[in-house]
Amino acid sequence: MNIDHHEGFQRMIDESLAAAISAEKEQCLREHLATCVPCQEYLSASNRVIAGLRGFSFAVNPTLNARVLVALKLRDTGTMRQHSVPFKNWAAFLLALSMSFVGSGLVYQMAERLAVPMHFVSAQVQAGVLVFWLLPSLCAALCLLAAPGENRGTA
Amino acid sequence: MESDTQRIALGLRQRDVAVLEKLVEQYQYRLVRYLVSLLGRRDGVDDFVQETWLRVLERGDSYDGHSRFEPWLFRVARNIALDAMRKRPMFSLDSNEEDGVRSSPASGEPSPYTLAARTEDAERLADSLQTLEPVYREALVLRFQEDLSLQEIAVIVGAPVSTVASRIYRGLATLRPQFEGEIA
Repeated sequence: MNIDHHEGFQRMIDESLAAAISAEKEQCLREHLATCVPCQEYLSASNRVIAGLRGFSFAVNPTLNARVLVALKLRDTGTMRQHSVPFKNWAAFLLALSMSFVGSGLVYQMAERLAVPMHFVSAQVQAGVLVFWLLPSLCAALCLLAAPGENRGTA
Repeated sequence: MESDTQRIALGLRQRDVAVLEKLVEQYQYRLVRYLVSLLGRRDGVDDFVQETWLRVLERGDSYDGHSRFEPWLFRVARNIALDAMRKRPMFSLDSNEEDGVRSSPASGEPSPYTLAARTEDAERLADSLQTLEPVYREALVLRFQEDLSLQEIAVIVGAPVSTVASRIYRGLATLRPQFEGEIA
C-alpha cells in the first residue's frame, strides 16, 4: 500500500475521533484497520493522546463556590433594590396624597363660603377645586413616586 | 413534560438564585477546567469563573432551554475571557492560527497541566499542551474532555464546524508524535 492510501485512512481516523465521519466511511475504516498495522499504530497513538487529555484533574479552590454564591446573592439583592421603588419615595407619595385630600377638603369648604358673595353655583366650585387643586396635587404626588431614588443606578 | 434544560431556562428567566446555586455546584469544575484550558494558566481563573456566573444571572434570559446548558455556559465564559484579553492582551485566542502568541504561566511557575496531570499519558502531554496554540487546545478539550459535539463546539467558539474539525485534527497531529512507535 502506498503512503497516500494510508493518509486517506488516517484522515478518516481523525474524522472518526472527532465524530465527523459517515457510517459508510466508518465501516470502510474498520475493515481497513483489521489488516493495516501502520494505521493501527496511528489509531493507538491518537487514543493515547485522548486518554492523556482525560488524565488531567484540576484542583478547584474550595472557597470558590461560596465566593461565587455570595457574589450572586449580593448582585441579585442590589438589582432588586435598583428596580424597586425606594421606601422614602413611597413615604413621600403617601404623605403628599393625604395632604392632597385634606387640602382639597379645606379649599372646598372655603370656596363654598365664597361662592355666595361671588355668585358661583356649587357645581362650579366643585369643578374648580377638582381642576385647580385636587388633580395638580395628585399629579405632584405621583411625580414623587416616580422620582429617582438615591440608590438607583448605583447597584 | 418539562426537561432539565427547560427548567434551567425558566429558573434563569426568573433569576432564581436556588437554580443558580445548583448550576454552580454542578458545573463549577467543568467551568474551571475549560477556562484553564482556554487561558493556559491557573491564576486569575477564579475571577473569570465568578464573572461568568454573574453574567449568567444578568443575561440568563437569553438561554432558551432548547439545547444543552454547557455550551451556552462555556460561550458566556469565553466571551468574558476574550473581553478581558482585549483589555489586557497578554495573549490572543483568535489570532492567526499559525502565528498566534502562545499562552504561558508566569515565569518560574509550573504549568497548570504539569500540576494537574494524574496519569502517565497526561504527564507526557503536559508540556506540549502548554505550548499548543490555544485555539487547538480549546477544540481538543471541548471535544475530548467535555465530550461536546462539533456543532456545540462551533457554537461556543463562533466558527464553522469545518474549522472546528480542522483544529481538532491539527491539535491531534501536534500531540500524536509523542506516542508514535509505541504499542499501547
